[in-house]
Amino acid sequence: MRMTPLAIIVGSLLLLFTIVFMVVVTPWYTTRNQAPSEIFRHRETPEAQGRLIYIENGCVYCHTQSIRTIDWGIGAERIAQAGDYIADHPILLGSERTGPDLSQEGGEHPDDWHMAHFVNPRFTRPMSIMPAFKFLGTDKLRLLTSYVQSLGMKDADARVLRQLYWKEAATRAYEAGPVENVRWLHDHVPEGWRILPNPYPTTPAGLARGHKIYQDFCFGCHGPIGDGMGPAQPFIYPPPLNFTILKNTDISGGILYYQIMNGITGTAMPYFKKDLESEKIWDVGNYVAVYFINQTDADGEPKAIDAANEPMDMPGEESSDQPPVGPDLPE
Amino acid sequence: MLAELSQLMVETATAKGERNVSIPSLPMTENYETAKGFCITSGFWMMIATFMGLLGATELMAPDILENIGWLVFGRVRPVHVNLVLFGFVTPGLLAAAFYYMPRLLRTTLYSEKLGVVSVLVWNLTLVATVVTLSAGYTQGREYAEMIWPVDMMVVISFLLVFINLFLTLRTRKEPVLYVSVWYVFAAIVLTATTYSLGNVIWRPGSGALRGIPDAILLWFYGHNVFGLLLTPLALGVTYYVIPKAVNRPLYSHTLSLIGFWSLIVVYTHIGTHHLIQVPVPTWLKVIAIVDSIGMVIPVMVVLINIWYTAKGELGKIHADIGAKFVFAGTIMYFFVSIQGSMMALPQVQRVTHFNNWVVGHAHIGVLGFAGMISLGGLYYVLPRIAGKPLFSRFLADFQYWMVLIGVSGFTIVLTIAGLIQGNAWLNGETVYRVLPQIHLYYVIRASLGVMIFLSAVVGFYNIIRTLYFNPGESAS
Ligand code: HEC
Ligand code: HEC
Ligand code: HEM
Repeated sequence: MRMTPLAIIVGSLLLLFTIVFMVVVTPWYTTRNQAPSEIFRHRETPEAQGRLIYIENGCVYCHTQSIRTIDWGIGAERIAQAGDYIADHPILLGSERTGPDLSQEGGEHPDDWHMAHFVNPRFTRPMSIMPAFKFLGTDKLRLLTSYVQSLGMKDADARVLRQLYWKEAATRAYEAGPVENVRWLHDHVPEGWRILPNPYPTTPAGLARGHKIYQDFCFGCHGPIGDGMGPAQPFIYPPPLNFTILKNTDISGGILYYQIMNGITGTAMPYFKKDLESEKIWDVGNYVAVYFINQTDADGEPKAIDAANEPMDMPGEESSDQPPVGPDLPE
Repeated sequence: MLAELSQLMVETATAKGERNVSIPSLPMTENYETAKGFCITSGFWMMIATFMGLLGATELMAPDILENIGWLVFGRVRPVHVNLVLFGFVTPGLLAAAFYYMPRLLRTTLYSEKLGVVSVLVWNLTLVATVVTLSAGYTQGREYAEMIWPVDMMVVISFLLVFINLFLTLRTRKEPVLYVSVWYVFAAIVLTATTYSLGNVIWRPGSGALRGIPDAILLWFYGHNVFGLLLTPLALGVTYYVIPKAVNRPLYSHTLSLIGFWSLIVVYTHIGTHHLIQVPVPTWLKVIAIVDSIGMVIPVMVVLINIWYTAKGELGKIHADIGAKFVFAGTIMYFFVSIQGSMMALPQVQRVTHFNNWVVGHAHIGVLGFAGMISLGGLYYVLPRIAGKPLFSRFLADFQYWMVLIGVSGFTIVLTIAGLIQGNAWLNGETVYRVLPQIHLYYVIRASLGVMIFLSAVVGFYNIIRTLYFNPGESAS
């Protein structure tokens, strides 16, 4: 084959156009009238403005907006569909998950959580590596928040409404004073959990683990001494709980576990069921109980058979109806 | 018939080999202003681009280090880094070599050095505009197509100026047979100007985007072609020139050159959708993308066999020339990045590797290891020849070679490890947040390697400037 200028320039352009026709124009033609998905809705003006701020600041380089079948994280309940994106111009799928996927972020948290998080992500998420966006100023952060709250469209709207509903209730309870607040908080914990003590014994290793988890997940809101005065506090209302007010209430290991696992919708208190497995939640609960509330029911009554890894002589072991040492082995 | 022609190519290549010896006695009317301009452009922007990369890496490691300096926030630093690497460092470096070898391969002089200098100036202006607009938050938010419409226009004009100059040079050629490098350069420029315009949706100045899923398909068609139709062909053009010259041998096979060239254009353009395997795009398109990604083995291996067989047994000569040494290392990186890329297009592999630092590792082997090393190689190969004096310091160039090589290999290792940690943890149901402390160490190592690469860029720029302007070396003429 003789390579003339014509062959090179025209030849390669012809190839290119043929292939563009095949891999760009044809898919465009077949998908351009994509029907909206069942959750689709158009964005309101502030949400659209927030989206522009999202683009300007390169959130797309750290956040995807596309849930896959193999995902477990935020929004994994709903796999992305082509009909979710029909208003996206440009589409913001993203190519890297330095941070979590945001396609179903709307309503995950109330607005105050987002404001604190945007001012400095380390306020609500101590190990975060997301940049601080305080420089955008309050107005832009509000717009950004309304965009983020719209992610997930109709599904997000339902979640946002739920946040607003419970925010009102939580605020009322908070403003009625600590006793009333604690009563309100605990009233929503199912009965079975309320009477459940922490089944793990208090051990130095367990407390050390609890401390680590507290530093990594809770510290920004509840503060280094558990008085609710973490750096996020000025942005959050009702403010992060001051754990010391729980002393001499009906607090139990089960309540702590349930609240940490499930979060308190309407308040900035997030759920941790995706971040922390069972033992970690018991550990951090016991850490809070021992160091901040100053009373723990860990390893108290009622109690099941000791777990295989439990130390042999824990305080309270004597009063247990189980033999302190295992039964004698048959001869 | 083919054999006959390849014989012809062999002869021309041999003829070039002879001209190699006579380099100093070439018409001294040539002053290579354009090639010099692109050398300086590449060297300068390599410093800025790698600095921005280092900055981004540092922010991932210590996120509050530049707290609340809006224009240096990670989301703005990253696109500045990426675009400067692509259009500031790698492409101009490859063009510098092209502006040197194109007139020689065509046995003529450059149509206009003046026009060339203008294109260098417009190119630099475009880069400045890119930095300013992206840092200020003027962006279209589409990866590799971030620049706003006026800057898009400047990019297209830059490419057109280069095209016009080279095309008119071609018109005055005295060499009837076009050598492989010439094919690649023309294809790269023409195809990139086209796909750039398409991919940036320049008929929609406001958004520069389509709507919905078609936007993603178009974006990645274009995005992949930045590597496939710009960096790769320009880098292969340099490789096809420098390696046979350095070992002073004809090219191994004309047939392989032909197959490599056309299959690159056909296959590479099909595979953009492998970035969207886990997204609801039409399945048939994913199938095409995956099949052709595997098919990429052909254009890649054909070229590499051609080049490596040409150099067979002559590695000493390659080692002796710092330019050829860079280029040859680049070909090895090309092998790795492409084989890795073919694997990464498989859905089973992507379950782990997609969305995490594995891909960032791949991107660095490709753009820095392959295209970047060859860009530096072309630059160091032509520098003494356009300066008419030996390189200011071979030691500094070797230093840069090792820094870049260690840097990019280190990147590959740590980013791949970080990616595997992330990908497997996510598959097991761990949240993104939980995994952050596990990859922190690798972010620290990555930033340290970034320091090496940035310093090597500073050294390289110094070497370029000294070679061109304050060169104590004996003039070669
Ligand atoms: C350097 C990468 C990076 C950039 C840039 C970035 N983020 Fe993040 N983002 C993260 C990481 C990491 C997390 C997880 C830790 C956390 O919650 O802070 C996160 C978390 C989030 C969350 C909380 C998700 C949840 O419910 O747990 C939201 C909302 C969010 N980012 C929005 C944004 C917005 C909006 C922008 C742009 C203004 C942005 N991010 C820019 C990395 C980034
Ligand atoms: C973003 C801020 C924030 C973070 C982070 C946070 N909390 Fe909370 N927490 C709150 C708020 C706000 C409340 C509820 C205050 C109210 O309604 O009065 C709360 C309430 C609680 C309660 C309820 C106590 C009860 O008696 O019902 C527990 C327990 C708790 N947090 C533990 C934790 C633990 C453990 C962590 C870390 C794993 C954590 N929190 C992280 C803000 C936060
Ligand atoms: C046979 C050749 C190649 C194949 C099949 C291939 C394949 C791929 C695939 C599948 C991805 C997407 C990964 C993901 O998102 O999960 C990717 C990303 C990437 N590739 Fe390659 N690759 C090849 C060669 C190259 C070369 C030569 C370069 C550079 C010159 C390169 C640069 C990149 C870059 C920069 C990305 C990152 C894109 C992003 O921002 O997400 N690749 N490649």
